[in-house]
Amino acid sequence: MAEEIDFDAILKKYHSDPYDYVEICATQTGRVSFKITEGSNVNSPSGEWLHIPGSPLFEITRERNPKIVTAKTNGTIASVRTELEGQFVEAGEKLLTIRHPLKKKEVIENILKEVLDLFPAPERAKYFFSLDIQSRIEKKGARAITIKPGDEIIIMSLMKRDTPIYYTGEAGVIHSIYFTPGLSVDQGQPLIGICASDKLPLIQKVITRVKADWDKLIETANLEE
Amino acid sequence: MPAINRPTPASLQEYLWKYEKNSRSQNPLQPPPDNILQILRYGAIVGSVIQCHSSMDRTMDQARQYITEIEKSGKSVASGTVILADTLVRPKGRFARTWHAPVGGLWGCLILADTFLTKARTLLPLTLGVSCCEAVRDLGIDASVRWVNDVLTDGRKLAGFLVESFHSPRYGEDFHLLGFGININNNCFPAALTNMAVSLSQILGSPVNLHDFTLSFLAKMTWNIGLLCYEEEQELRTSYCSEEQQNHLLLEQWKNLSDTLGRRVLYGYDIQQKPLYEATVTGIRADGAIVMRLKDGNEIIEHGGELQYL
Repeated sequence: MAEEIDFDAILKKYHSDPYDYVEICATQTGRVSFKITEGSNVNSPSGEWLHIPGSPLFEITRERNPKIVTAKTNGTIASVRTELEGQFVEAGEKLLTIRHPLKKKEVIENILKEVLDLFPAPERAKYFFSLDIQSRIEKKGARAITIKPGDEIIIMSLMKRDTPIYYTGEAGVIHSIYFTPGLSVDQGQPLIGICASDKLPLIQKVITRVKADWDKLIETANLEE
Repeated sequence: MPAINRPTPASLQEYLWKYEKNSRSQNPLQPPPDNILQILRYGAIVGSVIQCHSSMDRTMDQARQYITEIEKSGKSVASGTVILADTLVRPKGRFARTWHAPVGGLWGCLILADTFLTKARTLLPLTLGVSCCEAVRDLGIDASVRWVNDVLTDGRKLAGFLVESFHSPRYGEDFHLLGFGININNNCFPAALTNMAVSLSQILGSPVNLHDFTLSFLAKMTWNIGLLCYEEEQELRTSYCSEEQQNHLLLEQWKNLSDTLGRRVLYGYDIQQKPLYEATVTGIRADGAIVMRLKDGNEIIEHGGELQYL
C-alpha cells in the first residue's frame, strides 16, 4: 500500500469519469448472438435473494445447447463487438462493455480495494468465518481482529463440504468484509480486505476525504453543467 | 478396552466380492459387468486400512492427528483409511451443533487423498447419503435422501455426515475427511432430538448386526467412490465435458433414492439458526446444485445449504 495517497488525483479521476467499465467476455466457446445494442440500458440481478436474473446480454450456443448470459451489473452498453454476431468465439473473448455509474459508496469501495490487501474466493461457493474468528468479530468487531499468514480464517462451503481457508497475505486487521454468510461468492471475488494496523488511520482518512469531497465535487459538476 | 465393532480390510474385501459385486451385477440399472469390476477397483482404496477404537473425542480430529503423526514419521497416510469408534466423547455436527454418539451407533471417518477433479470433488458429499440410504434399504427400511446427504425415514434423521478438507502440515497434501454417524442400535436420544432422530433398531424393532451393517455401508462407499472415479474417466475420455450432462451414474442413483425433487422446502445456509426462504425443488443440476422455484415464479440455484421439508 502506498504511504502517500494523492487524494486529489484519485477524486479527480472518479469525478471526471465516475463509471466502471465492465468488460464482458464469452463464458465458454460457442456461437454468439447479442441481445443488446450499443446504448441499451441493462439491469443487474434483483430480488431479495438476487435470484431474478439481470438483463440478457447474449446467447451463446455450444453443441445445440444455448445459454443466455445476463448482466451482473447495471449500466449502459458502451460498446458491442457486433462483428462477432453469429460467429463462433473462444471462451474469454471480449464481447461487450457495460458502463456502470458509480455511487459514492462504490467509489469508496473501489479506492479501498486499491489500497487494501484483498483475499479472493478460491471457488464459487458459500463462505463463513471460522468459529474462532466469528466469535472474536461478534465480541470486538472485525477491525479489532488481527490475522497473520497461516491463520484459519474462513470456511468455504460447497455441497456440505467444508474447507478451511488459511490466510496467505500480509499480517493485518480485517478492514472490509465483502461476503455475506449464506450467499454465494464467485471465484476471484474479494472475501475480505486486510490492512496493516499502522495503516488504519490512513484508510480512515481515505474514507473521510471521499465522503466529504465527493458530494462537493458532484455539486460543482452539476453547477458547471 | 477393545472395540466392539471390529471390521477388517479382509472382511470388507470378502463382503465386497461376495455380496456387493453380485447385487450390482444383478441390478439391470447398473453398468455392464466389465464396468462393475472397474468401478469396484477404483473404489477399492476404501477400507484399505481400518482402525477400530472403543472411544475417542471425535473421529475427524483423530483423522487430522493421525495424518499429522504419520507424516511426522516420514510416511504418508493410506487413502481410504477408515477410523471407527464405538462411542464418541465430544461429537459435534456442522456449525458446532451437538451430536449424540453413544455405543450402538456407527461413528467414523473415511480419509481420502484429494485426487479428484473439481466436479467429482463437488459431488463427493453425495456418496455418503447414497451409500447409507442403499445400506439401509437393503435392510428393508423405506429410507430416502434429502439434499445434500441427509438420510431420513418417516421424516426422522437416521444419519448425519460431515465432509471437511484438511491440508497436511508436513507434506502439504490435501485430504477429504468424510465423517459419518449412523444411528444403528442406539435407541436413546437427548430430549431435543427425540422427535427428529431415529435408529435402525427402533424402526425394525430388533437389534441390527453392527459389524454387518458397517461392512455393507463401507462396501457401498467403495462402489460410490468408484463411481466418481469411473465417471471422471468417462468424461476425460470424451475430452469434452458438458455442464449440462445429466447422466452421471452417482447423480442418477441419488435421484432414485431421494424424495427431495418436487418437495416444498424451507431453505437456509444454517437451517436451524437462520432459515431463509420457502421454495419448491424443481431439479438437481449436473454439478449437484439444487434448483428451486420461489413463490414469485423465479428459479434460484443453490450449491450449498440445508433443506427442511414443509
